[in-house]
Amino acid sequence: MNRFGLLNNLQNILNDNLVICNIGLPSQELYKINDQPNFFYMLGSMGLSSSIGLGLSLSQTKQVISIDGDGSVLMNMNTLATIGNRAPSNYTLLIIDNGSYGSTGDQRTFTDEKTSLKDVAIGAGCKKVIECSGEETANELSKAIDDKNNSYVIISKINSGNVKIDPIPLNPITIRDRFRKFIGSVNYL
Amino acid sequence: MKISKKIIDNLKKSGVDFYVSVPCKLLANMIDILEKDKDIYYSAVPREEEGMGICAGAYLGDKFPCIMMQNTGIGNSVNAIVSLLQLYQMPVIFLISYRGTPGEPVGAQGGMAKVTEDILQTLRIPMLHCSSVKDIDKIPTFSNHAKVVESPVAILCDFNLMKDDR
Repeated sequence: MNRFGLLNNLQNILNDNLVICNIGLPSQELYKINDQPNFFYMLGSMGLSSSIGLGLSLSQTKQVISIDGDGSVLMNMNTLATIGNRAPSNYTLLIIDNGSYGSTGDQRTFTDEKTSLKDVAIGAGCKKVIECSGEETANELSKAIDDKNNSYVIISKINSGNVKIDPIPLNPITIRDRFRKFIGSVNYL
Repeated sequence: MKISKKIIDNLKKSGVDFYVSVPCKLLANMIDILEKDKDIYYSAVPREEEGMGICAGAYLGDKFPCIMMQNTGIGNSVNAIVSLLQLYQMPVIFLISYRGTPGEPVGAQGGMAKVTEDILQTLRIPMLHCSSVKDIDKIPTFSNHAKVVESPVAILCDFNLMKDDR
C-alpha cells in the first residue's frame, strides 16, 4: 500500500474530524480523493503539521488528526516532546512513514535506515504510540479517536510511491476561512 | 515585576488568550505570571519555529495567540512566518526580548540584535519597539492592529526596559 491507497482507506474517518494535512503530495492526494472544508491543507512550512494540529487541539474540543510524514517529523522532531508532554486527548498524530521524501523525488529518509520514530516518540514521552501497517491503520485510527482519555501517535508503515497529481487550486485564504467556518470560528461566510 | 505584569495585562486586555514561549531571563517574570493564570493557556515549547505552528493552530481554533521568545527566535522561524502565518494571514503576537540592545552584558547577543529589525522589516512585520514604560501602553492598539490587518506583529522589549524588572 502507498500513501494514496492509505488516504483512500481513511476517507470515512477523516471526514468526521478536523484534519491538518502535510504539505505537498499528501495534501494534493487528499484533495483529489475527497476535498472537505474540515481539511486544512498546508501549502508551505514543511514540518509543522503536527504543531498546527497540536495548537488546534489545545484550543477547541473537536477531534484533530494531524497527517504528517516521516521526513517532516524528522525536520521538527522536538514536536514529539511537546506532544508527549502537552497533547490533549482530542489529538492524534498520524505519521505516514514511507521511508522517503515523497514530494521531492522519493529520496530515502533516515527512517529507511536506522531511525525508529516509534522509539523516538516513546522516548519523547508519548504514551500511546502505535506502529502498524497501512492495512491496519484505519482500525488503529478509529480506536485512537474513540479513546476519549488519551492522545495517540500512529506510525503507519507503507511503501513509497506517488500518483501523478496537480497542485491544489484553492487559495490559502479559502482554505483558512472554510476551515474556520466549519469549526465555528467565523460567521461571515 | 511591574513592567512584566503591565505587558501581560495589556496583552490580555487585547484578547490574547494563548501563549507559548521559548524562555529568556528577560521573559522569566512574564512566564511566572502566565503559569499561574487560569484564564489563559500557557506552555513552554522547545523551538520557536514549532511555536509558530502551534500558534497557527490556536488561531484556527479561535484563539488569539502570542509567542514569547528572544530575538534570536525570529532567525529560527522565517519560513514558518512567511509560508504559514503570512500565507494564511494569521494574526499572532511575537513578544520578543530584544537581546543585544544597550545594557546587554553578553557580547555575542549583539549579532542578532544588529539584524533583527532588518529581518522584521524585510518580512513586512509591523513592529512596536518598547524602550520605556509609556511604550507598553501602546500594546492594546497595536495588538488589535494585528487582528485588523490579519498579520503577525512584533513587540520588541529592550534589554534596559526589562533588566531591572525584578
